[in-house]
Amino acid sequence: MIVTKRKLSRRTVLRGFGVSLALPLLDAMVPALAGTSAAANAAAKPVHRYGFYYMPNGVAMNHTGTNYWKPTTVGADFEFSQILKPLEPFRKQVTVVSGLHNRSAESLGDGNGDHTRSTGSWLTGTHIKRTEGSDLRAGISVDQIVASQFRKDTPLPSLELAILPNSVTGGCDTGYSCAYGTTLSWASPTTPLPTQSSPRLVFEQLFGDGGPSSAQLAAARTKNSILDSAIQEMASLRTRLGAKDRSTVADYLDVLREVERRIQQTEEKNSMSPLPEYERPGIGVPERFDDHAKLMFDLQCLAFQGDITRVTTFMYGAEQRARMYPEIGLNESHHSMSHHGDSPENMIKYAKLCTWHVDLFAYLIEKMKNTPDGDGSLLDHSTMMIGGGMSNGNIHSHMDVPIVLVGGAGGIKGNRHVAAPMGTPLSNLHVSLVNRVGVPVESFGDSTGVLDLDAVPARAPSSV
Amino acid sequence: MSIRWQRLLVAGCLIAAPTTVGTAPETTPTPSREFLNTYCVTCHNQRAKAGGLMLDTLDVTNVAAAAPTWEKAVVKLRAGLMPPAGARRPPQAAIDGFAGSLEAALDRAAEAHPNPGRTEPFHRLNRAEYQNAIRDILSLEIDAGALLPADEVSYGFDNIAGVLKLSPLLTERYLNAAQKVARLALGTPAPPSGDLYRVPDQLDQDVRLEGMPPGTRGGIRIDYFVPRAGEYDIKARIGRGIDYDIPHFIGEQTLEISVDGERVRMFTLPATPDDDLNIERQVFRAPGTARPRNVRVDANGDAIPDEAALKRRTLDDNWAFRIPLQAGTHEIRATFLMKTDAVSEGFRKPFLKPYIGRGPTDARETREGASLRSLEIMGPLNPGGPGESQSHKRVYVCHPASAQGSGEASPARAGEAACAKTILTKLARRAYRRPVTEGDLKTLLDFYGAGRTAGNFDTGIELALQRILVSPSFLFRTEFTPVNVAGTDVYRISDIELASRLSFFLWSSVPDDELLDLAVQSKLHEPAVLERQARRMLADSRSQAFTANFAGQWLSLRRLPDIVPDPFLFPDYGDTLALAFQKESELFFDSVVREDRPASDLLDARYTFVNERLAEHYGIPNVKGVNFRRVELADDSPRRGLLGKGSVLTITALPNRTSPVVRGKWVLQNILGAPPPDPPPNVPALEENGNQISKTRTTRERLEAHRANGVCASCHKLMDPIGFALENFDAVGKYRQFDENYQPIDNSGVYADGSRIDGLTGLRQVLMNHSPQFLANLTNTLMTYALGRGVEYYDAPAVRAILRDAAPQHHRLSSLIVGVVSSTPFQMRRVES
Repeated sequence: MIVTKRKLSRRTVLRGFGVSLALPLLDAMVPALAGTSAAANAAAKPVHRYGFYYMPNGVAMNHTGTNYWKPTTVGADFEFSQILKPLEPFRKQVTVVSGLHNRSAESLGDGNGDHTRSTGSWLTGTHIKRTEGSDLRAGISVDQIVASQFRKDTPLPSLELAILPNSVTGGCDTGYSCAYGTTLSWASPTTPLPTQSSPRLVFEQLFGDGGPSSAQLAAARTKNSILDSAIQEMASLRTRLGAKDRSTVADYLDVLREVERRIQQTEEKNSMSPLPEYERPGIGVPERFDDHAKLMFDLQCLAFQGDITRVTTFMYGAEQRARMYPEIGLNESHHSMSHHGDSPENMIKYAKLCTWHVDLFAYLIEKMKNTPDGDGSLLDHSTMMIGGGMSNGNIHSHMDVPIVLVGGAGGIKGNRHVAAPMGTPLSNLHVSLVNRVGVPVESFGDSTGVLDLDAVPARAPSSV
Repeated sequence: MSIRWQRLLVAGCLIAAPTTVGTAPETTPTPSREFLNTYCVTCHNQRAKAGGLMLDTLDVTNVAAAAPTWEKAVVKLRAGLMPPAGARRPPQAAIDGFAGSLEAALDRAAEAHPNPGRTEPFHRLNRAEYQNAIRDILSLEIDAGALLPADEVSYGFDNIAGVLKLSPLLTERYLNAAQKVARLALGTPAPPSGDLYRVPDQLDQDVRLEGMPPGTRGGIRIDYFVPRAGEYDIKARIGRGIDYDIPHFIGEQTLEISVDGERVRMFTLPATPDDDLNIERQVFRAPGTARPRNVRVDANGDAIPDEAALKRRTLDDNWAFRIPLQAGTHEIRATFLMKTDAVSEGFRKPFLKPYIGRGPTDARETREGASLRSLEIMGPLNPGGPGESQSHKRVYVCHPASAQGSGEASPARAGEAACAKTILTKLARRAYRRPVTEGDLKTLLDFYGAGRTAGNFDTGIELALQRILVSPSFLFRTEFTPVNVAGTDVYRISDIELASRLSFFLWSSVPDDELLDLAVQSKLHEPAVLERQARRMLADSRSQAFTANFAGQWLSLRRLPDIVPDPFLFPDYGDTLALAFQKESELFFDSVVREDRPASDLLDARYTFVNERLAEHYGIPNVKGVNFRRVELADDSPRRGLLGKGSVLTITALPNRTSPVVRGKWVLQNILGAPPPDPPPNVPALEENGNQISKTRTTRERLEAHRANGVCASCHKLMDPIGFALENFDAVGKYRQFDENYQPIDNSGVYADGSRIDGLTGLRQVLMNHSPQFLANLTNTLMTYALGRGVEYYDAPAVRAILRDAAPQHHRLSSLIVGVVSSTPFQMRRVES
């Protein structure tokens, strides 16, 4: 974590968490070293980024005898499976995790809804509340716990992206609100974070009007001078109030100053290391899936690079959607392909789609590997997770869900296939991830412990 | 409150024979101690402490000392809850007399020591108010929904001060919005921006839409604001099928784009070749299944991209063009040419909804012709000179003589500064809703100066305008205790504050010059002036905001877009019908306001508003065309009043069936102001009929457990009969004689007070008999909306006064509104305690 000139109050940090935790003494709470220069800051301990990438409807698993998703060998120097082959060039920073159970996605008495529940519990480890109304309830998601750590350091706590159409024609799993199926991140048990699919809007959120960084700088300065003047006006109004009302104004002033801080921070980061010029995307959404995905990945990479955010999530699609992929010759809907019925021809088709998704992910990984960051690359300082809430989508299985971690951060050793004992809760992995960013959580969602990523079982994993 | 009291409160709320709340009682001047001792103190004394209430220690000659308690007593007495069933009960006249004398005593005490309650010192503008304020200050139409996040709701409304907080996200949005609005209004140079206009997916585009020329169908109509003359790119996109493919249609589909009524471009989607269509069955193929396509693989077994399919998706790639536009608002329409009005002779009549299917993989395209998905407009490219839009003209009330190249101290520059001062004074007065102070002006002129130095006169004005739009004086309504009222505990708010309360109540916007002028002259609070202004404001077209925001939230109309009835059971329900529901309800409420009708017309008016689609749904014959028109209803028409409106009936139903409980609860809560308590936990779901072979049961029979179980019955005997009376309306508000299980509907019931409900007419009659409760509830709701806070016990005297004063005018809605703005809570405020 970068040592900043600001001293964080414990209260501020606690406010960011939706769960009650025992906090360690965070680096940032120690009064910052005097005289630290910006350059020294940049060379200081680099920051840890997290990305979570969701593949809907499950993947082609190995049960029909072909080595589709899961590598057959366990431990170090494992052999890459067909679908994961595009990640082989990054072997040294790839950790495949198998045997995990997305338990809270099981029906547990709620009847149908495996697809929706898969999404709802992937990052929350929580059995989502069955409702079609506005009383949605899940649990805080692991990416948000991580984001809370960096709340004071980046303008944007997190970035939620997806490739989804604007509308949901035809409905969702009966009994569940459609909002569940399009939400990976939850800031609190009742606050779903909406995703964005429009590259244009994402660009504007990250960079405003874009253009050269000098123009962005000027825009930020203008905003701040206006904001500053408004703060003064608010403060002067305060003098006309009684004691009780003054505290309301104090809250408003806090808010205004927080925004001022964020804008200032953006300014500082811009002047320290201006981002490469990037053309503002057009309004519409690219027709080709791969064009769209790559554009979104470019933006995520830029956001990391500019330290605008350190946490991002992405959905390749929502569960049950009928999207087809003529770009790679697949003219059957995604959901229907996932119900392959174990037929060899259908498995080939579905594996082709899954491989393509991983291939696009590899595009992002490559980009991050080639982006310098401190004393290494962006990839060295990130943990990127790709996978899904279902394993064999044909039978809606939540056991042995696909998970791969790529990146050099957090002390995760690469070049390994970690086969957890079959049935280990997925949230045990989340606990480990959260711990690695400095938050000593002991449990999360439906976890039963911490998944020790350093342990390597001596036997081959049982087949699903 | 213990369970017993809760039950009794609800059970009794409507049992009493209705009396008019607040009628002048023919009673003793002070409430009778004897009455209390005879009928109340036997339970409510220091020893027994029934309900925690000790009436033996309360002084009935000094009701002010325990007003909250006495107000509660009034509620219980008027509702017939007290004395409780089983206890000694005096004749009704004696109860009414005692209650009346209590009310009179409370009213007298309130008159002597008014308690107007206390509004928040900072009341943030909500989204709708922000949008209207921009419209009224700058003559600029914006979509605040695209710029600002949604507001928190409390007491059923999104204008409640206590929950309208400021967050970092909202602050950032305000900053960005200020920049965007200032640029748009002044037409200053800016990078080209784009807007995407999306047509709702479930809108029927096989028919002509409102505002479109004859001979066309579907599409979209936009009032597009051009801040700065220049060239604009317009791109149209056809509606895709659920799998992202452009569907196939018989025959060509031609889209016409027009600007200000003149055709500027046409695009054509070529007809799909016959062998791609399943002509024999005259049924349109599901999208993407035109011809079975096998995956073509190359030598390695890798799938080859299907160029034909990809190409189909790009058929509208070149549906774009560039066109010069002048500054100002232009009407842009994109619509398909209607090829024929002849009835399509398909295998079966198409559903009135574009997609049918329960799940996303299940959809069948049922449209007969292509639809428009969106229109993108981007620009200005190659911008021309400064914009002269109506907003620009509105702001520039003077023009500086050109001062290019003049020195800082030149007369030309001084002339500029003087003009800037004029412009900014006028803007700030409307935006801040009060006279502008020296301090205000200094701040704004500083920003003007900074912008002028960095650029020119226009950039200076723009920067100052941005500052105005972020000022707390703009974003918040402020009400501060004046310094000279120490010693008293209530005070009359200033006329300036009153002007804002009025305009945000009736227009959801800033006061106009007439209101502000009267406020500055301290004339606004004078009763005759106030009433005249209130009526003027209701007659003004800006009061449409009152219908949209007050009625829209009171009647839960805003939930309508979120309702998705089961597509298999209700294949004709789509956006077209939902929009029609909304429009009908708004026109109906608006008519009661504008035509100065009695509030009770809301329950039983003999007219409504329909267009062809809605008339078809309602079974009203001989209504053609997309425009709404008033229709008279027969005496026994089920559509009379709010309970016959498709909007209300759909909002109070489940996706696949009606719920008498939900409907009953809605009526109790929104119409009568007597919401039942929440159900106990662990109530099991309603048993489905699915596995019954021998006999399917009616909904009434399935809800039998509500009556069999005493604990359930206490609340359900109030809700269910109302809902049963409405069972003739299905889950999307269509009239029916048989329910979902094909059983004939029995819509009779016994009401809480014992009267019989004979179907819909009977229900309407019962509600009319309880009109005092309805009117009290309506007044309370109006007060909540007008004050931006919940209504409390100390507001009760004001509500009684309003109802009393409005009675001679049959409680016309306008008289209730005038009553609200003339009331103590609206005109006065407590000092901070």
